[in-house]
Amino acid sequence: MSNRSITCPEYKARLNTAANLLDTMKTQIRQGVLKKRNLVWLELTGCSGNIISLLDGSNPDFKYLISQMTNFIYNNSLSASEGEVAMEQLFSVLGSDYILAVEGAVTTKNNGLYNIIGRLNGKLVTAIEAVKTLGEKAAFVIAIGACATHGGVSAARPNPAECVSVQSVLNRKVIKLPGCPCHPDWFMGTLAHILLYGEPDLDRRDRPLLFYSTLIHDRCPRRSYFDKGIFAEKLGDKTCMFKLGCRGPVTRIDCPIRQWNQYVNWPIEDDTPCIGCAQFGFPDAMEPFISYNTTREVRR
Amino acid sequence: MTKKIIINPVTRISGFMEIQANIENNQVVDAKTEGLMFRGFEKMLEGRSPFDAVYFTQRICGICSTAHSMASTLALEDAMGVVPTDQGRYLRDILHGCEFLQNHIRHFYQYTIPDFVKLPEDYPLFKAEHNDFRLPKEKNDRLVKDYFDSLDLSRSSHEMLAVLGGKVPHNHGVFIGGITTQATTDKIIKIKSILHYIYQFINNRMLPDVYTIAEYYRDYFSIGGSYGNLLSFGCFNGYKDLGTLYVNPLVYTDGKTSVFDLDNITEEIDYAWYKDKQNVGKPFKTDPEADMSKPQAYSWVKAPRYNNLPFETGPLARQWLTGEYRNGISTMDRTIARVLEARKIALIMNTLLENLIPGVSVQKEYTIPETAVGKGLIDTTRGALGHWLKINNQVILCYQIITPSAWNLSTRSSNGMKGTAEQALIETPVKDINNPIELGRTVRSFDPCISCATHIYTGGKNVNTIQVIP
Repeated sequence: MSNRSITCPEYKARLNTAANLLDTMKTQIRQGVLKKRNLVWLELTGCSGNIISLLDGSNPDFKYLISQMTNFIYNNSLSASEGEVAMEQLFSVLGSDYILAVEGAVTTKNNGLYNIIGRLNGKLVTAIEAVKTLGEKAAFVIAIGACATHGGVSAARPNPAECVSVQSVLNRKVIKLPGCPCHPDWFMGTLAHILLYGEPDLDRRDRPLLFYSTLIHDRCPRRSYFDKGIFAEKLGDKTCMFKLGCRGPVTRIDCPIRQWNQYVNWPIEDDTPCIGCAQFGFPDAMEPFISYNTTREVRR
Repeated sequence: MTKKIIINPVTRISGFMEIQANIENNQVVDAKTEGLMFRGFEKMLEGRSPFDAVYFTQRICGICSTAHSMASTLALEDAMGVVPTDQGRYLRDILHGCEFLQNHIRHFYQYTIPDFVKLPEDYPLFKAEHNDFRLPKEKNDRLVKDYFDSLDLSRSSHEMLAVLGGKVPHNHGVFIGGITTQATTDKIIKIKSILHYIYQFINNRMLPDVYTIAEYYRDYFSIGGSYGNLLSFGCFNGYKDLGTLYVNPLVYTDGKTSVFDLDNITEEIDYAWYKDKQNVGKPFKTDPEADMSKPQAYSWVKAPRYNNLPFETGPLARQWLTGEYRNGISTMDRTIARVLEARKIALIMNTLLENLIPGVSVQKEYTIPETAVGKGLIDTTRGALGHWLKINNQVILCYQIITPSAWNLSTRSSNGMKGTAEQALIETPVKDINNPIELGRTVRSFDPCISCATHIYTGGKNVNTIQVIP
């Protein structure tokens, strides 16, 4: 038996092919071969706070992102060019490999004319046209922040601009990074996974498990106060914020262990309740943000 | 012969904007600035808890969210009769100062510099459509380096803010009474040390950088002048012990400075996509609905007026009103004033930090009144910001906002008088009609925030399609 395996050239070749493939994969995983890919960052109906949050990121920071990770093609807040030239640059990615990042919701009102992002060949380009055109052809679409992932504040009741999520106008998978804003690490980590290993593991609502798997409440440093029934009565108190309306118990995100802005602080450590900005349904489903009497016992 | 120029998008601003200009003999003879995004925050706020306005209104703007937390907190305090202690004011003004620094550093380096400095073209993001780059290589290289180095400092500005504000954009710290948490000694020294490095950067790099640009683009001292009407609601002012560290509520027109009077503010909608019973109103007395079919209208930005006149607001207005900067009113003066103001704010923050009593708690359990009216007016990064609210049955009955960019980027008055930035474009010489770089440079000197300016309320009706200009 062993003789045959040694002598049969075809069998040997098959083994080699498999070994080669495995080696290549191992090397790639070990070395984390990072191939730069084109990135487009669209801003739609929102506050443009996610691109600001991205600039607040570190290791990787914005400089590393544009020099080592991507060919950053276009962003309304940062592109040096303006007017038609800027629009031409944006749409130049069509026909090539690119990743589309979108922040902001999609306004559907008046055929999308409630958000115009530029002019191409003299013609107005609505946000909905841009996201549909670029979204269909992109290798990956990443919706960044509350507005892009589920409408967010832009779609808050009564939704005056008739805003919807990016997913609502695209018939394809959209990776979703809710948060108001999105933490720079949530985006950088997701992008890194795409560049190094392809699509990250997602939950049933297309959020990367890497960041969105665990409730804030489960990892809250003030959890012991909750367990003992010691609750804050006003902002600024150092105990559990539950009775002030904290949404940590319903919000899946890693703020307690990650923290914000060079990892110096986060809302609960700032002695305020979590307002559930990283959960679907924010803001309407998370209000009121602050109340002094949610489940208060009447004491006499 | 009149030629028409259209620039859309005007990149490197917050939000979406178009400039239309008519050119005769290589000079701008007519101009319009058009805000092209609509959200409707005022309507969204109706029926919500007044407390929630502080976090909710921050979502108007990602680059100046703290500004809205300041104005909404002031409006709530006014409605509830809460007078914050000086310690409470120092604390939240420190957070506000951090936002000034973040905003001014990013506006100067990331939004303004690409107009004047040739950035490395191996980055697709930095491809420019024109070639009016005048700096010698050595100086250009220095400013490119500072473009990149500045990113660390604007990030640090937000880091300082988060030390007491929890996170940013959209902080949790600014609230009724001051801020939510307490500034303990470890936090005070953390902010102080970060501020030290930011101040050094502003003083040693940012100021020389803006003067280098000014030296090679001297023509921009005579471009972008506008009316010379200046307005401030005041900020870092009226402390019991420290007095005014920056600017009081003042206006300047016809060469005279006078005290600001709230009663003189109106808003007009003749040329904006809204309809109402009348085209001019005061905060709280109007209820306009969106109307994109209005023939003469061209923008979502309304036209706030003071004594029926358009006013400029922002760093240059403040520096002028305090008498600290009186070189002139132009595109370049506006840009220089912003950098000078960054240094001023860093110094003010240092004074406030030195006057903090560590560990002071300013929070109470607050109760919302059944009915109340409140206003919060403050000068913020881009200029004069006003929030007005009415409370009924302990919820928001009505909320109105007039932003700095609504002042600066306003549409025309009923009498056809142009908005401040529109007027600033008139008589601008345009060297190359295919690359009208001059217009964007002037408009950016106002640091437009169209996310902020076009948030206004619409009713639920569908409106007609607008005419697409060929």
